[in-house]
Amino acid sequence: MYRSKLKAGALALALLMVGGAAFAQVNTGAANFTTYVAMGDSLTAGFSNGSINETFQRNSYPALIYRQATGKTTGFEQPLVSAPGLPGALRLTGLFPTMISATPGTGQPINLNLQRPYNNLAVPGASLHDLLTKTHSTSPTDPTDLVLRGLGGGTTQLQQGQSLHPTFVSLWIGNNDALAAATSGIAVEGVTLTSAAQFDADYRLVVNAITTTAGVKQLVVANIPDVTSIPFVTTIPRFLVDPRTNQLVRGPGGNPIPLIGPDGPLQAGDFVLLTASTELATGRGIPLGIGNGTGQPLSNNAVLSAAEAATIKAHVDAYNATIRAVANEKGAAFVDANSVLRDLATNGIRVGGISYTSAFLTGGIFGYDGVHPTPFGYAYIANLFIDAINATYGGDIPEVDLYPFVFGPLPSATAAISTGKASSGDFTNYVFTPEARRNLLQSLNVPKWIVDGTKPPRKPRHPRG
Amino acid sequence: MYRRGGLLGGALGVVTLVTLAAAPLHAAGFSIFEQGSKATGMAGAFTAQADDPSLLFYNAGGLAFVEKTGVSGGFTWIHSTKAEFQGAAPFPGPSYSAKQEALSEFPPHFYWVQPLTANWKFGLGIETPFGLTTSWENPDQFAGRFLSTKASLQAFDINPTIGWQVTPTFGIGVGGIVRVSKVELNRHIAAINPFTLMAADVGRLNLESDYTKNSYGFNVGILHRWNESFSWGLSYRSKISVDYDGSARVTQISSGNPVFDTIVGTQIPFGKKLPVETAIDYPDQASLGLAFALTRDLLLETDFNYTGWSSFKSVPINFTGGPGESLPDTSLPQDWKNSYSYRAGLRWTTSPASQWRFGLVYDKTPQPEEGVSPLLPDADRTGYCIGYGRTTGFKYDIGLMYLDFKKRTKNEFRASEGPFLGAYKTQAVLLGVTLNY
Repeated sequence: MYRSKLKAGALALALLMVGGAAFAQVNTGAANFTTYVAMGDSLTAGFSNGSINETFQRNSYPALIYRQATGKTTGFEQPLVSAPGLPGALRLTGLFPTMISATPGTGQPINLNLQRPYNNLAVPGASLHDLLTKTHSTSPTDPTDLVLRGLGGGTTQLQQGQSLHPTFVSLWIGNNDALAAATSGIAVEGVTLTSAAQFDADYRLVVNAITTTAGVKQLVVANIPDVTSIPFVTTIPRFLVDPRTNQLVRGPGGNPIPLIGPDGPLQAGDFVLLTASTELATGRGIPLGIGNGTGQPLSNNAVLSAAEAATIKAHVDAYNATIRAVANEKGAAFVDANSVLRDLATNGIRVGGISYTSAFLTGGIFGYDGVHPTPFGYAYIANLFIDAINATYGGDIPEVDLYPFVFGPLPSATAAISTGKASSGDFTNYVFTPEARRNLLQSLNVPKWIVDGTKPPRKPRHPRG
Repeated sequence: MYRRGGLLGGALGVVTLVTLAAAPLHAAGFSIFEQGSKATGMAGAFTAQADDPSLLFYNAGGLAFVEKTGVSGGFTWIHSTKAEFQGAAPFPGPSYSAKQEALSEFPPHFYWVQPLTANWKFGLGIETPFGLTTSWENPDQFAGRFLSTKASLQAFDINPTIGWQVTPTFGIGVGGIVRVSKVELNRHIAAINPFTLMAADVGRLNLESDYTKNSYGFNVGILHRWNESFSWGLSYRSKISVDYDGSARVTQISSGNPVFDTIVGTQIPFGKKLPVETAIDYPDQASLGLAFALTRDLLLETDFNYTGWSSFKSVPINFTGGPGESLPDTSLPQDWKNSYSYRAGLRWTTSPASQWRFGLVYDKTPQPEEGVSPLLPDADRTGYCIGYGRTTGFKYDIGLMYLDFKKRTKNEFRASEGPFLGAYKTQAVLLGVTLNY
């Protein structure tokens, strides 16, 4: 009796604190947010700046959707990790030369003792197949155990989600089925790329399991962005650029100088990945005789060739065809993240006259890892989901107020500011410290052998077909 | 009889007054129909009467009927009593509100009418038919500061006119218009601070034009005093496109991070005078008035106005300096629609020396919803008017108008601006005072 009074009081207080919108019951239409479960990967977990960190997790898009749909700040549990996060969040520590380093130290899980599965079951690094099969971490840097905690002797993300008997489910999965290929620069089906057939079969299994779970009323799904519209892939040009002037370096004929990739000088359609900057800093990829160039080619996992990019795109298009078809069949709300991100990369958006783009560091949408959004980016994504949910289920859930995400206060990773001078003779654009690079690639679920620079294993990671 | 020098001196004096007075607050779109206090008392329903020197604005056809010299001069005090904004999601959000500064402006008017022969008359008017000032309180914190912090516009017309009394009941007037105008736009510039990944103010942009020259138009009016009980009038003032030359200046705002500030300093030419051009396509206006003498002392007039605001498609801002002396050109889309207003005025002559006036006006906004912005938030408006005139001896008119703008909610936005959603509510009071000789 006393406990429920306290709970009611706390709830009332929470409602009061949320503000005007909470006084009136939110009209969510046919969508019921009594119990909301979010499934997915790092994008759903609120992963940002290369880190699982409560500052960002509290503003993950599912947490934002929940707050807008219910007016409550409690009732949506996540596997929170204290500052500086796991691993320590990336931050900008200098400009000219541009230095990105990991905040020292690691955070601690602070919500470990929740006596039930979390509402946000998204596991950073999870692929679609993992939702069906993965119950434990498979490496020391794999955060699966943080989220799934071996509950029930070892259950999957899907099983834990079902056990909560949610009334509303969001599902955004498949990014890692293609992302590992993009961030590792190696696109091999069965190793870093899931086959379209496998994806289709698994996706239908997952969605059927969700929609047949007792109590589940509504579902929202999102498709996969073109991984070549993220700054991790698109920031460093394939030509040599003098970072002091941001101008292309011209050769004797007046032409720009292509960097040297594993197959020779880079061609149109080839991409240089953000982590190549560590190699460029040592002169790799730069022709001999120019600056600190050694003439040595960039490694295979610093470059995404045009062919590899095309393979990835073909797979992403196939995954998206599956997602769209299944969404239609199930009458689920659908977010076309692919179109939105492509539009963002091409045109950018404006908010109250302020320009946001997909540019690295200066765009405001992507964070320091070049892959995951900033808190503003996540708030913008939450509004896409809310619009889709309102459109399908006839509700009037208010959009997230972007003001604090535009102007703050919302503390991002703290930065120690250095007044670096322009380096002389070295062509470095964005330098990740080696530790930052390692942390970043591990958190992006890039196979260990790529992170370590060793040879690929003989057996593929995922069974084919 | 008048002393020529005195009149010219007076005219110059008024011109000076015009240049000193800043632009009026706001108007239907940004047109100001309050160009004479007698007409203002009747909510501007004056086209079919046009029987005081302010006819030079309201209906040049009335010039034909002028029997003796007349001079009128005055101003309209415009004061906003409420000009508020309440935000909505997604930006700037439902817990955000802001106010405009409560400004007072005094757009003046001056008229001289003079018969030349029995049938030909001359007039010279100086009017302020367009004007605008939108200025937000605490501009450095205003959430819409990257769209506009302060925008102001003044336009005054020099309007020499000829009137021809075609028959004793029918008159035509034709005038030329020289428009002299000035515009000022201010806003902040933002950039994403890479150390915080949030938007930061990096500069204040101020753009001011010189006074324009060489902008010409015309006006024409017909007045038919059919009989003692009925008259009608038709008046037209042409479109005028005004090109402005001016300069812009950006002053830097420090982000607190010297490295970032230096980088921004290489991208934006702070402190330099940047030559710039802009243009405004002012609309034409047509008015039709019908006046009915209900009794010997009571006159009712109803007017219908059309303003061709579809001329106002966009405001281009073109920087004409060389490299290092310019910013990227922009264009502020407007896409306004033609608008209409409906007026009714009552004139009650209570004695040979006194007249009371009453009026009501309903003015529709030309601004589409997606165009509502902190630069110029417009709305449909209703005006309630009362006026008094002393018609013998020391002659004067006073007109008082309470202008209530409908709450204007903006839910639609243009991609070039991004969302800045919410509701604007404005109220204003206008008091016109005109002295007549």
